[in-house]
Amino acid sequence: MPRISKKVCLLGDFAVGKTSLVRRFVYNAFEDKYLATIGVKVSRKTVVLPVRDGLVELALLLWDLAGSEEFSAMRASYLRGAAGAILVCDVTRPDTLAGLTAYVDDMRRVAPNAHFVVAVNKIDLPDARLPYAEVDAFAASLHTSCYLTSAKTGDQVEETFRHLGRLLVAGD
Amino acid sequence: MAQTTDAGPDTGSGAFGEDGSEFETLQDILFSGDRRRIGELESRVNDPDALAAMVSPILGDAIRRKIREDRDEMIEALYPIIGGLVVRAVAEAIRDLARSVDAQMRTSFKPGAVWHRFQGRLRGVSSGEMLLRQALPFAVDEVFLIHRETGLLLSHVSRHPETASDSDVISGMLTAIRDFVQDTFGQGREGDIDQILYGNQCILIESSRLAYLAAVTTGVEPTGFRNQLRETLFGIDFAYGEVLRRYSGNTADLVGVADRLAPLLDVGSAAAPAPPAGLSRTQKRVLLVATGILTVCICMTCLGSVWTIRTVQAALAPLPTATPTATPTPTATPTPTLTATATATATATATLTPTSSPTSTPTQSPVLAVMTGSSWLRSGPSLDSERLNFAVERGRTVQILAQAGDWFEIRWTPPGGAEIVGWVQAEWVGTTSPIPPELVTPTAGP
Repeated sequence: MPRISKKVCLLGDFAVGKTSLVRRFVYNAFEDKYLATIGVKVSRKTVVLPVRDGLVELALLLWDLAGSEEFSAMRASYLRGAAGAILVCDVTRPDTLAGLTAYVDDMRRVAPNAHFVVAVNKIDLPDARLPYAEVDAFAASLHTSCYLTSAKTGDQVEETFRHLGRLLVAGD
Repeated sequence: MAQTTDAGPDTGSGAFGEDGSEFETLQDILFSGDRRRIGELESRVNDPDALAAMVSPILGDAIRRKIREDRDEMIEALYPIIGGLVVRAVAEAIRDLARSVDAQMRTSFKPGAVWHRFQGRLRGVSSGEMLLRQALPFAVDEVFLIHRETGLLLSHVSRHPETASDSDVISGMLTAIRDFVQDTFGQGREGDIDQILYGNQCILIESSRLAYLAAVTTGVEPTGFRNQLRETLFGIDFAYGEVLRRYSGNTADLVGVADRLAPLLDVGSAAAPAPPAGLSRTQKRVLLVATGILTVCICMTCLGSVWTIRTVQAALAPLPTATPTATPTPTATPTPTLTATATATATATATLTPTSSPTSTPTQSPVLAVMTGSSWLRSGPSLDSERLNFAVERGRTVQILAQAGDWFEIRWTPPGGAEIVGWVQAEWVGTTSPIPPELVTPTAGP
């Protein structure tokens, strides 16, 4: 089975649950402290996907970028060479959806052909205040899909990664 | 005072009399013990020695407890003091070790030590440093080839492949660290991290436009290793430039890259300590000339030895003329004796009767010998005897005519000259056969 590696970034405001998504479902070789020190932590998520002539093993090298402002200057360097990104927002904080636009702009400046998937996280919480219509509209503007995820329960997390993986494999 | 009295019994000293002496007495009764203890405590606190004696029993426990509860904080607090001391102590210990090794090397005559001394002289460092340098062998544990833009692992070779499962994640983090340092400290200038040190490990980094190599090493990097890294990287850059420019993450496009990286692992393996850094061209020339001279000297010595041995052998061999023929040796000259006989008659007759009686001492065969040292010939077998104006050189073949004590009478015929006979001390004459007894008899002596 052929093996392909791709760089993928997790983008979103502070405390939307990016690191929780990574922590639950991907292989971690490093501790989370690197997020606070250099603003990024790299993990790996391997998925096997069908392609035209069989299967392919896709290793997603996930760059979990710290959402805090102090590392915003480094963001362009960390985004360089990314093949795709998972845009994460918090269903209890409508402002986190608006913030994704800036991340998309940053990403497109350094990686114009990058693919996106939107993840509306924390859907296990009762006080969801994010209008889903807005989320759909945002995802449509990016020509991509939106997943309602919960790092706590694991809902739709695997699907989110697999969807992005399919986009990346199909894009080659 | 009246007011005080009128105010009732709860107003203090008035109840104990005007001068308050009773109140003080009561205070003394109630608080005297406490006052004494406070006084003792003050004296202890104000006396540094007493205070130290009081605190010291619990100080150790307090520090231990603090370390247990917050180790990092204690390390941070103590590092400015202890860190410097440790660094100084370690540096001093290493210097002592170097001095000790150096002294050992200077007094040692083992071939290895002599060789290290020679190498050290050539390179301008002490033999101890040479030895320490070789005691820290260089080894390359892992080599990562990483795509510069994406941080994706292109290829990885390791001395321990079983522990290489995280190599792609490590590549990503390494790239993130490089980006972080570049963004933070580069300030817009071109530049790269070229090494990361951690303990005795070092990550050597060499970059090209499209990729970079990270070699995880231990020990002292040998001269030329950087260049080897660079050449390997540029070779890959040249051969796979198009693939790297449009890298899709498919490592199948990079077949053969691992084979190019593998030789880097062989540089100075831990099993075989790395040879010292290569010699400069001048040093090589000096070594070559010295080796040549040494070889010529050895050859000359061998040839000289062979020639000497052959010469001595030839000299000691019996001469072809030394056939056992008797050679009469006239050792006495005729001595005419005049005998006059007077008679009373006038018929005196004088008769001359020559009574020559030549006595010759025939020898069965000449006893040949070789002079082992140059020596003057003397007329007799002692140093008091007259020294003849002839010296027989070392190596000359002579014939022994007689022996008297520690002296030999020899016959020697110089090339183109007349035969010379004289006495020399036996210590300068080498014989190969015993001296016949008839020669030892001092008949021919003076």
